[in-house]
Amino acid sequence: MNSAILQTKNLAIGYRMRHSGMLPHKKGSQHSVRVVADNLSLQLNEGDMVCLLGPNGSGKSTLMRTLAGVQKPMEGDMFLNGRDLNRMSPKDIAKIMSLVLTDRAVTGNLTVYALVALGRYPYTGWMGSLSPTDEAIVQQAIETTGTRNFVSRHISDLSDGERQKVMIARALAQDTPVIMLDEPTAHLDLPNRIEVMRLLKRLARQQRKAVLMSTHELDLALQAADGIWLMNFSTSDASKGSADMVTGMPEELVLDGRLEKAFERNGFEFDRHSGSFRIHHEPTATIGLFGDGPDAYWTKRALERLGYRVVTDKAVSRRVELSGTNGSRSWTFFDGDAYDPEKYTDICAVIEALKSRGA
Amino acid sequence: MTVKEAVAVGHSHSWPRLAPRLPVLVILFGIVVFFFMLDLVLGSVRIPLQSVMAILAGQGSDNVAWEKIVSYIRLPKAVTAVLAGAALSVSGLQMQTLFRNPLAGPSVLGISAGASLGVAMVMLASGSAANAFAIRQLGMGGSWLIVIASSLGAASVLLIVLAIAVRIKDNIVLLIVGIMVGNITVSLISIWQYFSEPEQIQDYLIWTFGSLGGVLGDQLWVLGAVVGFGLLISFAASKSLNVMLLGENYARSLGMSTFYIRITVIAATSLLAGSVTGFCGPIGFIGIAVPHLTRSILNTSDHRFLMPSSCLVGAILMLVCDIVAQMPGSQSTLPINAVTALIGAPVVIWVIMRNRNLNSSFS
Repeated sequence: MNSAILQTKNLAIGYRMRHSGMLPHKKGSQHSVRVVADNLSLQLNEGDMVCLLGPNGSGKSTLMRTLAGVQKPMEGDMFLNGRDLNRMSPKDIAKIMSLVLTDRAVTGNLTVYALVALGRYPYTGWMGSLSPTDEAIVQQAIETTGTRNFVSRHISDLSDGERQKVMIARALAQDTPVIMLDEPTAHLDLPNRIEVMRLLKRLARQQRKAVLMSTHELDLALQAADGIWLMNFSTSDASKGSADMVTGMPEELVLDGRLEKAFERNGFEFDRHSGSFRIHHEPTATIGLFGDGPDAYWTKRALERLGYRVVTDKAVSRRVELSGTNGSRSWTFFDGDAYDPEKYTDICAVIEALKSRGA
Repeated sequence: MTVKEAVAVGHSHSWPRLAPRLPVLVILFGIVVFFFMLDLVLGSVRIPLQSVMAILAGQGSDNVAWEKIVSYIRLPKAVTAVLAGAALSVSGLQMQTLFRNPLAGPSVLGISAGASLGVAMVMLASGSAANAFAIRQLGMGGSWLIVIASSLGAASVLLIVLAIAVRIKDNIVLLIVGIMVGNITVSLISIWQYFSEPEQIQDYLIWTFGSLGGVLGDQLWVLGAVVGFGLLISFAASKSLNVMLLGENYARSLGMSTFYIRITVIAATSLLAGSVTGFCGPIGFIGIAVPHLTRSILNTSDHRFLMPSSCLVGAILMLVCDIVAQMPGSQSTLPINAVTALIGAPVVIWVIMRNRNLNSSFS
């Protein structure tokens, strides 16, 4: 069963810009308000991992900050566990929602264990002493995130990937049904990105956490997320420059073309088959390619990179034909009647030949 | 040992403990007592430890001069050194954490500069011979007039900074504002000095050298009470200061009110640094150096442990500085403000060279 733990109704997010920080703020002055996105009715369910995608400047951070209760919404309501978020005290919110931010500044002298233990802040007394229950939750968070081996190390001695896992452990120690993460995979290499994604996925599945993360990793998001929230600059004039929000299951968004549309821009195209984006190379010439299998696929990629439009048309004078089987592949390069066909046994050679021949 | 075994051993380790390490505090306290006694023994006249102990125990001494020296000069001075060292260290520690800046110290919010301005106003603007005479009669550091003037100066700068702190959300902006307010204050003092008589400037300069010796009787009780109150507030803020290490955003996400903690820390620092500057004159360096020294020695960032340790390390360093300032065996003394820098700076350089973690403490 899926129950909504975080819900918004007709939420409008944005900024009230005050022209002078010292003067009392004048209400109703129109141009001092910038709405980033409006009419947002979103729902985050327990046990779901949702990825918030969108280009830089589309308002992802504003939405995250508003949902986290750090920034006041312009309009609309937000409900956390059925309660009005705006009426909750910071301490109550801290017991339902934990954050993992991009802020890197963490003191070097703090050990991993001490940092994770800070997650218990909303629950401990005035001196911050941990009860045996607190200790058990902290240790559980460390075990779950696989950071057990460096509990005694200092934060400054950790790699970016280890540090991110520790920050997730800290959020876990806060013991909240909702975890929000701001670009948790930024600055990480691919294995670490995947590991962090898998960890978050596991938390959603096994511990029934509602996980909301903003990310730029479209590939990983499409593979791992239960839901996608896609923010984008609006194309219609009616919305006065505020962002559009598209939500749904990743596969649904790919199949009905909404994802493609959202990222429609010059220079790259969305490949519906692979679910990834490709740089769009402006073709300057046409070349024929015949063959199949991975060799043909990667040859096509190389040719496109060189600026060719790749076709399967025998009438084109310049063409490459692949022959042979795995292990003894060969590329035959035909270039009109002026040159004899040339045979190559590796992809570099044929591309070099093409380059030297010129357009 | 193979990797697998290493992992297995790692797993068999017990979980780290976060409770304050009591033995370290006991050792530090022992060192404080040692230097406290040394401070009473050494000076222009060397008084044997047995006599000092007897005088402290109230049994008196055959040598009336010794009794007078210990009871009325050295004991108040040593107590002042302990109070000043603890107060300045703890306020420096709080400033460094609040502003997440290794160079922050008690003087960073312009509190010391405010105190100096108050003193300068009294000394330089009074102009009337009677006033200047009264100050000299009462003794420079020990004058209530000076204490009140510097406290008022510190308090007014504090009020300005607090008023700004209520409105500004960014601590770095607040830090810069504090430094600027301090600069304005210092320039006011310069203008005052420019229009003053050389004798008055000399009086003021002597005050800026700092002195632990002028706090006697009632003043010592007042200083002790204010410092004690400031330390209590600071200790109560330990838990929140730990969370501040994560940055303001994380602190807020943990349900902490960054507004209240900032006001609390600024108020505590003003009480601590303001009162010490008021009674002893400006004493530089301790506030910046001791937190680094303590962090480095104890290898922790836990304020529940750093606070008491900084108190003790600050007291030790201040006592050592006082012993050096008296130049045992000689009749003259050095200005304490110069000695703190002279002793403290090499200590900090040594700590940094050894650990190179000054910056990593804050990044």
